Amino acid sequence: MRISASFALLLAIPALHAGVFSSDEPSSPSSQNVKCVYSGTDGNCVEPVLKTGKELVITVIGQGVAPSITASPAQAYALAKRAAMADGYRQIAERVKGVQVEGQDTIKNMMLQQSSTRTSVEALVRGANLLNTSFKEGLCEVEMEIALSYSKVSE
Amino acid sequence: MRSRNGNRPFLLKSIGIISTFAFGADNYYIGYRLTAHNSQVFNETLSISKAMQPCSSQPLSSITFDRLQNESLKKVLLREETRFLQFSASQEISIKSNETITPSTMNSQQTLTLPTKCYEVEFNDRSVTITLMK
Repeated sequence: MRISASFALLLAIPALHAGVFSSDEPSSPSSQNVKCVYSGTDGNCVEPVLKTGKELVITVIGQGVAPSITASPAQAYALAKRAAMADGYRQIAERVKGVQVEGQDTIKNMMLQQSSTRTSVEALVRGANLLNTSFKEGLCEVEMEIALSYSKVSE
Repeated sequence: MRSRNGNRPFLLKSIGIISTFAFGADNYYIGYRLTAHNSQVFNETLSISKAMQPCSSQPLSSITFDRLQNESLKKVLLREETRFLQFSASQEISIKSNETITPSTMNSQQTLTLPTKCYEVEFNDRSVTITLMK
């Protein structure tokens, strides 16, 4: 009994060592040298997109159309700009958070009857800025940017 | 007879109300929602409500608008909606987007929501200063 217990203890010591001194530990965002992060799905080590001390700037161009019936050109411009801003925020959310895609195909008698793709995104965007606005022939384009950094994420 | 501890909340509230009157600032809750369908604005709602109690939070950032002859906050915001939206959206805004694509059609709908937050509003003769509270 004693011999088997001491044998088990001997086997456990290297295993503990491997666990404690393993270099594959996931690094925290606040640490200075972030080398690898673990993805939630497969647990593989991937290089982080955000690096400490550096800002990642994402720029998008949102487009919006003025409604066909408006009270004045100014109202058309204002409404087109707001629609363009909504499109810009959607693009930022898609770039930062990702898009959920669902596809549905209906096949009857070995023939495609119906096909549809649905994409969706939902996000809370903080600190996005509007850079430029242009309005031409009823189409409004807004240039928007968001700067991502560790300090802003931790705020 | 009230205890000393019981009087403290009453005193704090009184100081808050007196300071509000003294500095001419009111607290309002403002929220906004915009729905765009196929890149066109479909519906937008701006909701303004006067706070029943002063907001106990720190000022974050402020913006000043021109005010014409005793205009109410609602009128000022409706006139300067784009600027106000730009100011508030730069802090925090929620976006929800859905797109459906079939071989023949494509439909998109985006809902932009400005979470209802407390703002300190200072009315002057010719201007209104709106301060977003944290």
